[in-house]
Amino acid sequence: MFLTLPSILEKWPCQWSSGASGRRASPSFNAGEAVTALELLQRERECGSITTFSSQLDHALKGGLPVGKVTEICGAPGVGKTHLCLQLSVDIQIPRSFGGLEAQVIFMDTEGSFVLQRVVDIAAAVVRHFSLLAVDGEQKDTMQTFNMESILSNIFLVRCHDYVELQAELLLLPDFLRDKPRVRLLVIDSVAFPFRQHLDDLSQRTRLLQGLAQQVISMATRHNIAVVITNQMTTRLQDSQSHLVPALGEIWGHASTTRIILQWEGSQQVAAIVKSPCCIDTAIQYQITSEGFRDANQPEITLTNRR
Amino acid sequence: MICWGQKQQLKRQRIKNMTEILQCLAGYRPTTVNGPAQEQKCRIVSHFQSANLKSVREVLSLPAVDVQRLTGLAHPEVHQLLTAAAHACRRHAPLSVLQLQRGECCRCESGLRLGVSCPVLDGLLRGGLPVGGITELSGQSGAGKTQLALQISLSVQYPVEHGGLGGGALYICTEDSFPIRRLQQMISEQANLRSEVPSSLIRGLRFSDHVYIEHAADLDSLQVCLSRRAPVLLAAGLVRLIVVDSVAALFRSEFQAEDWMERNKQLLTFSSMLHQLSQEFTTPVLCINQVTDVLKDHDSLGPLSSSVTPALGLAWANQVLVRLMIRRLQKTVSRGDQSSALRQLEVVFAPHLARSKCEVAVWREGVRGVAAFE
Repeated sequence: MFLTLPSILEKWPCQWSSGASGRRASPSFNAGEAVTALELLQRERECGSITTFSSQLDHALKGGLPVGKVTEICGAPGVGKTHLCLQLSVDIQIPRSFGGLEAQVIFMDTEGSFVLQRVVDIAAAVVRHFSLLAVDGEQKDTMQTFNMESILSNIFLVRCHDYVELQAELLLLPDFLRDKPRVRLLVIDSVAFPFRQHLDDLSQRTRLLQGLAQQVISMATRHNIAVVITNQMTTRLQDSQSHLVPALGEIWGHASTTRIILQWEGSQQVAAIVKSPCCIDTAIQYQITSEGFRDANQPEITLTNRR
Repeated sequence: MICWGQKQQLKRQRIKNMTEILQCLAGYRPTTVNGPAQEQKCRIVSHFQSANLKSVREVLSLPAVDVQRLTGLAHPEVHQLLTAAAHACRRHAPLSVLQLQRGECCRCESGLRLGVSCPVLDGLLRGGLPVGGITELSGQSGAGKTQLALQISLSVQYPVEHGGLGGGALYICTEDSFPIRRLQQMISEQANLRSEVPSSLIRGLRFSDHVYIEHAADLDSLQVCLSRRAPVLLAAGLVRLIVVDSVAALFRSEFQAEDWMERNKQLLTFSSMLHQLSQEFTTPVLCINQVTDVLKDHDSLGPLSSSVTPALGLAWANQVLVRLMIRRLQKTVSRGDQSSALRQLEVVFAPHLARSKCEVAVWREGVRGVAAFE
């Protein structure tokens, strides 16, 4: 490829590297390119969002979890963070004829909480839900291919045992996303677990987390994927009272665009949106049923334990 | 091609893991067009030498800017080095959950469970204890935690088709001495408890030979046990279950209330050792925990169904995969000439289980769930 001197001088260095490696043309933001706010708004509208199957939470988030942004889900153990991540991993595969994104997901599990039985439960409930909803011919046709096997084949699992393996997987993720262009969701469950073990040097941890935050934000915008990261809670002493706050410190708090805290209030589970650029701080009630993440007042179809 | 590079110095020094770096760079195609690939690899390796980085893991433990500063390499070359190191560190490529379900990767979540020798309890747990994480069983003293732990130490020795894992159990006692008489009694009644298993098979299993008992009176001996003796037993396939009875005893006794930061640090070290063993040898870990009273205005970690909560707080709760609680009820139940206080076993949280409870009773032959219609 021959180029003239003026055209070389106009380009930015990163445009050269992307050209040399032959990366696919991404519809999203290119470094150094100036766009108008209207174009950004249109792009954001095209990106879409992932439904959570809780209509109240979807309404509070203006449609669902945003694609192209980083969302953080914090909560105490057992409150439902992994359940919400599994629900999103299935929901992103909802066919376009039903208004979904029909995309794939890569799930990075650091805690070992990805249990196959639960994914199967949630997937079965979603397939049942849409087979009841299918009205026209196109939707009924898509239900032929939207089944348990196809759902399971579109979720890619990586098991990371410590923060070094997590770093390694994130470094190799751009290659993976290039090979699998249908992937539109990255789930990291959880980021706190590996970073709170074996890392005594807090400044090293902070810098690693900042690097990780920059990596995921750039991946979210460059490849137009939604990134969902779960975080643990820790106790902070303030005015001789203890409060539950998200772990990993204040600096990590800047990494995500949207932050949702799942907590117990008495016997009710509540999802509080504490940080969001487009929604006001709201708290909605939810429940975890055998079918997955649902609204609090939604009647459950089956409550019995199944093998 | 615009080059980001700076001046490079070639130093000839011996480094450790030189072969490791050459291997991980060997399969990697450089993206620069300038210069032959081999020359670039030599340049990266020599800079790596001069940076005194000893291993691939060390390269990945540092932020990218630190690696760039230490090696003096240009940004694209640092990226190549990091990507090559990532390839070397990676255990397996991402695989789809469908492949997982078909059992194409034995290291990952396989759905294997350790049954607890009771169909009602196995139903509550949807198969039994998961093999890849820590299951915690907490309750007040006398609730039946040790009874259930002993029963699981025997059920692990059955072959896989009968709900076991075909290996022994490592039982680490930190409080009282091991209840050897109760174990002998349970062994003699196994045919009664597991009536569905052919008695010839039960007679053939030498239960007491495969329960390895350790007493750890303090944290140091516990660390030694987990770091030296446990891996040997696990690697030889002699042990497929680790029981720690109990976790709370050592951590509560060795630390004052003010030392909670040091306690949490030790707790994290201990739990990460357990996780490592559990992952590497696909072995379930059962930790028995004490309970503590719930303080008023305490930030709740769950809906308050009782006045007690498992000890060791949030730091420990974050490490646990499955949390079970057992407590005595006021009722008793009798069967023939035996009678037992009724207990309630509750699933507090688990990634694959609903919050549910069932009633259990402790008999001569072991712990049995009381089925709903009884």
